[in-house]
Amino acid sequence: MTGLDVEVVEDGDRSMRFLVRGITPAYANGIRRAMIADVPTFAIDTVRVIENSSVMFNEQISLRLGLVPLTTPVGEFEEGDTVTLALDVSGPGTAYSGDLVSAEAMVEPAEQNVPIIQLKDGQRLELEADAVLGRGKSHAKHQGGVSVGYRHLQRVEVVGDLEEFAVDEPRIVRGVIEDDGELIPTSEFDHDLRNRYPGKELSVEDVPNAFVFHVETDGSFEAETLVDSAASSIGDRAAELHDAIQL
Amino acid sequence: MMVPVRCFTCGKVVGEHWEAFSARREEGEDPAEVLDDLGVNRHCCRRMLVSHTDLVDVVSPYQ
Repeated sequence: MTGLDVEVVEDGDRSMRFLVRGITPAYANGIRRAMIADVPTFAIDTVRVIENSSVMFNEQISLRLGLVPLTTPVGEFEEGDTVTLALDVSGPGTAYSGDLVSAEAMVEPAEQNVPIIQLKDGQRLELEADAVLGRGKSHAKHQGGVSVGYRHLQRVEVVGDLEEFAVDEPRIVRGVIEDDGELIPTSEFDHDLRNRYPGKELSVEDVPNAFVFHVETDGSFEAETLVDSAASSIGDRAAELHDAIQL
Repeated sequence: MMVPVRCFTCGKVVGEHWEAFSARREEGEDPAEVLDDLGVNRHCCRRMLVSHTDLVDVVSPYQ
């Protein structure tokens, strides 16, 4: 495939929106799936509980710890590598994800304020945990992309004026529209085309082979990194197949 | 018992917003506006906070 036409519509740390032109729906879906299942992230997998006098069982606490996103530097670790974290909190008070102390500065909780368990007077939680680098394929806690999806780009054209007594019905469109080559997120006019084109008759159609991706990460890395890693994972697998069929 | 760490449906981390959400709701702010302000936009994530009840205080005497 020769060069993709990519335009960034919105760019943030943890979420971004970009338009890709000239790809098939299958290709778009391939990228989406790679972002969800094939970009490895760290997540706590094994917990050794030293003391737990809280109101929750060890298993429940382990599950909560597993869901805490951990920052994952790209290219520094191999899949299956482990990093040890420790937690020691005494009540009264709440144990937060930020109380987890990591043995590796690059891998630490991406969120500091996730409550793990509320501890009463005299209760204590002390544990050691191993975080493993794994893929979203094996468990949702390793999923770096959150609510990753794409929509067709919609082209809006003014066809004419509405009749004087025509029923003023809402025209709800969500995503990004293209008006004379200009890209406009529908949130700018509250997703209702009436606000942008009052009293106009419109034609709205999908632009063929143009997809607007919405990407959000759980904080393990930036959205840009996620897209980048997903794309290279597809490339790596294609190269692997290429090498495998060489005689 | 405790707030779920992530949204069941999409996986966004919502647990971190619970304390701010419940405190501001107690103060009489409109819950919808608080959620908008916290950046909890999808209705799957919003129901995680709206429908949650903390039960630690209820359970703790029976340990």
